[in-house]
Amino acid sequence: MPVWTIAKKELRLLFRDPRALIILVAMPFIFILILGISLGEGFGQKPDDRLRVSLVDEDLGDVPAKVREGAALLFASPSAAWPQPLGAVALAEVNRVDRPPAEPWSHVVMRDLAETAEIRVEVIPDRRQAEQLLGESKRSAVLIFGPFFSQNVTRASFLADGINPFYRDGVKLAELDAVMLRDPTQLAAASIIEQVAQVTLLRVVLPWMIGRAFEKLSEPSFIDDLGHEVRLPMPVTGRKVPLSDFLILPEHKRAVGSGVQSSLARFFPKYKLTAKTWADLTKSESHAGGGADATAFAEEGGGMLKRGAVRYQILVPSYTVMFAFFLVLTVGWLFVSERRQGTLKRLRAAPLSQAQILAGKLLPCFVLSLAQGFFLLAAGKLVFGMSWGSEPLWLMAVVFSTSLAAMGLALLVASVARTETQVAIYGTLLVLILAGMSGCLMPRELMPEQMKQISRVTPHAWALDAYTQLLLNPAPNLAIVAGACAVLTLFAVGFVAASWWFLKLD
Amino acid sequence: MASPALEVVDVRKRYGPATALHGVSFEVAAGELFGLLGPNGAGKTTLLSIVSSLLEPTAGEVRIFGRRVTPRDRNLRRLVGIVPQELAIYSELTARENLHFFGELYGLHGASLRQRVAAILAAMGLEEPADRRVDTFSGGMKRRLNLGAALVHQPRLLLLDEPTTGVDPQSRNHVFEEVRRLNAAGVTIVYTSHYMEEVQALCPRIGIMDHGRLIACDTLPALLRQLQGLIRLRVPRMTPLLNERVQRLPHVTRAETKDGELLLECGDVKVTLVQLVSLLNELQLPLEGLETEEPNLERVFLHLTGRGLRD
Repeated sequence: MPVWTIAKKELRLLFRDPRALIILVAMPFIFILILGISLGEGFGQKPDDRLRVSLVDEDLGDVPAKVREGAALLFASPSAAWPQPLGAVALAEVNRVDRPPAEPWSHVVMRDLAETAEIRVEVIPDRRQAEQLLGESKRSAVLIFGPFFSQNVTRASFLADGINPFYRDGVKLAELDAVMLRDPTQLAAASIIEQVAQVTLLRVVLPWMIGRAFEKLSEPSFIDDLGHEVRLPMPVTGRKVPLSDFLILPEHKRAVGSGVQSSLARFFPKYKLTAKTWADLTKSESHAGGGADATAFAEEGGGMLKRGAVRYQILVPSYTVMFAFFLVLTVGWLFVSERRQGTLKRLRAAPLSQAQILAGKLLPCFVLSLAQGFFLLAAGKLVFGMSWGSEPLWLMAVVFSTSLAAMGLALLVASVARTETQVAIYGTLLVLILAGMSGCLMPRELMPEQMKQISRVTPHAWALDAYTQLLLNPAPNLAIVAGACAVLTLFAVGFVAASWWFLKLD
Repeated sequence: MASPALEVVDVRKRYGPATALHGVSFEVAAGELFGLLGPNGAGKTTLLSIVSSLLEPTAGEVRIFGRRVTPRDRNLRRLVGIVPQELAIYSELTARENLHFFGELYGLHGASLRQRVAAILAAMGLEEPADRRVDTFSGGMKRRLNLGAALVHQPRLLLLDEPTTGVDPQSRNHVFEEVRRLNAAGVTIVYTSHYMEEVQALCPRIGIMDHGRLIACDTLPALLRQLQGLIRLRVPRMTPLLNERVQRLPHVTRAETKDGELLLECGDVKVTLVQLVSLLNELQLPLEGLETEEPNLERVFLHLTGRGLRD
């Protein structure tokens, strides 16, 4: 009963002193609000997702290829009237290496990009939105495939009448009806993206052109031309006659052409010079599941607050944890104020044990800490549109155990500090240092590995681990969450034991 | 035979190398109003802290109504009320909330608590501002509330540590009246102060402390009897006859002429003064100047320690 009497009094005092409420409730909310608005869109993304190549696909595709694709679909369709063998023939025709791909060339480029390590492809719906994103510096560069991109790539060739897209620095985008739009304020980032695009275009266009060039070596027109160029002496007369005199029949020409291809293949066994793709040319394996990582552009969050943005999945728990430990100041001030006002003497002279006095003082602080945690998570959902993940009930366990650890630390500081100034200095330093070490102030992924290990000495880091599982992992590992809660409780026990050693209620 | 309300037996207290109390012993009978007088730093507050179980003595023991004071005997604390030297009330709460809180700590509840709080507020003259926050109170009002907070649970032994420090005369009188009323109602009171006048006015029995020692402990008259009254007398001419007759007055213990003044030490100043006036009439000597000095606690302290109370 005396515990409840003291607790009621403390709650009354807390509600009459706005300091505690401002620090514990208003400040973290304001922090999250300000940082939520001011942080860039990269915040909260995993590091390996960061190099994002954004593009707009206006490519109409290569018309002949479309026609062939349509025919293939028609023949291959089980519901079609055509017999299955005919469909298979049509498919084989479509996929012949001497033909451009059945899909638009822009898709080939996108797939190649997506298969490149550390690259994420984002497809923006149209050029207007791309320009808007660049204007707002939300993207540093956007690659645009024009409507004739596929036709121009198909026409790219070493032949005199083909399009030559190459120049000193790589691929002339304009020749292929492509363009790289840049944000003039982020030129360095834009140039990185352009280099990535250049390499990909080279990987796509160059094999296509080489393959077609080497195929020409076996075509009758080339053999004809060769036949006229090469003159061979006759064995008896010594008269020189053109090679074409020996290659009169088409089957002879095909045989020579086939021989040329076979010789090339034997001479250059590491390459398939007639291939049309980089993987075939270099005889390397294609990535499995190519193109799966390309994602459609989605505006991160809505409105000025960017509600629902992934940043809140990090900001809200970070500041919920950090400000839970600001309880150190509140509890410290309660104890110091009791000493300063002399009322601690009356409490000690009353028929109460030290444990009852402590429990009475700490109980409302603990309730306040729980309320703070739940308030911030609720505000995170309602105001900032964050998700509570797939295991929202476990959030209660994390809030509870974090509050326990915060209470323990608060009691330890209160047992050491004798004046309000000491509480402010010890408390603020401790809270900020622990927050900085633990990853509350910046994501721990940005820390060096050694620092990540050191951060484990803080209760904050364990609380953040639990929140990360619950709020960022679609399938949270509940063993990690439960373990973190247990460690937080152990922190609380350790802090209370230490403070019992130091505490002197006089 | 009933146990004394308070027994202090050879209580010693050390803080590291410093000794705050050097074996203090005294008793306070039930219903007594006992004064503990001494300058600041004499050890009065330390002694009261030990009595109220806020501090543990280094040696010796304290008994309250026959029960030894130990940190574990929390029920014994219900018998004691303490008014600390510094204010010990919550300035963010109202007077009523403060009294309610302290009452609840001692197990009072419901109607009895409300009645008790109302009675205390009335006794302390705080009915009108009862629901105002204490931080809006004057110093005197806070002092009265500070006293009231120790009374809510109706203690049998009340420890008052310099209860009038920094209060206005009106509030001081209020405190005095309440102390007398409580004592008349049977509450045993230990009243510490370094104001000699307060202790002398309130307490029939007094202990005098200095440097952690109880240097005297007796009733007020007995303490005062240790000293003689003083009379300084100035007449136009000092005659040998006057000198001789003065020394023969019954209560005069010493007579000395100094700088044209006659200085008399006597057991009873008032009787000696009457006799002295008749003597001067008889000798037809006009009185040019007269000063008297009755024995008081200030002089007792000076007599015992060689220092003034306020030195």
